[in-house]
Amino acid sequence: MTTEQATRRYFQIFIPSMVGYLAGTLATIWAADHMDLPPFALYGLAGVPIFAMLCMFWGHWRFINEIDEFLRTIQIKAVLFGIASVLVVATGWGTLEMLADAPKLQVFWLLPIFWTSYSAAAGVLTKRAGGF
Amino acid sequence: MKNRLKALRAERNWSQAVLGAKLDVSRQTINAIEAGRYDPSLPLAFKIARLFGQAIEDIFDDEARVMQGARRRE
Repeated sequence: MTTEQATRRYFQIFIPSMVGYLAGTLATIWAADHMDLPPFALYGLAGVPIFAMLCMFWGHWRFINEIDEFLRTIQIKAVLFGIASVLVVATGWGTLEMLADAPKLQVFWLLPIFWTSYSAAAGVLTKRAGGF
Repeated sequence: MKNRLKALRAERNWSQAVLGAKLDVSRQTINAIEAGRYDPSLPLAFKIARLFGQAIEDIFDDEARVMQGARRRE
């Protein structure tokens, strides 16, 4: 499989998953604020973005398996950078919350932190490797 | 790892994209191997050697072999 085919297949999963994630998140927030839903219904609604997240990561896993070995090293490094960023922010902020009464950081933000740091690392590493 | 990939490719007038297509890898991968920023896996090295009809060690040269050659010349 060529890189172009793998990339196309990746975006075919990633874009609908991201749309599902955002729509599911916004719908859950709206329902929690405006509707008097029982807790199990809210849990059910919150399952939509969770499912979308799983699809996103499954698509990424497949993408990493389908691209060639050099591009795979770039992706793995970028994912590691994303995970490290999440761990540093979560543990660092958690320490501040525990020891210094810092305001609470919702763990909801860990996924956006992951995608932002992963994307930045993937962009820099790909550019260094000779562009897209 | 030093290699002769760029020279071999130039002899055949192939672009990095063309060589990448023949080896089923991306242009970036060819670029990284030629620049010595990435050492290919053994299966890819074999594929490259087969494509150019040469032995792996005639295309790729590790530092140890370079040093050995220099010592022999001394």
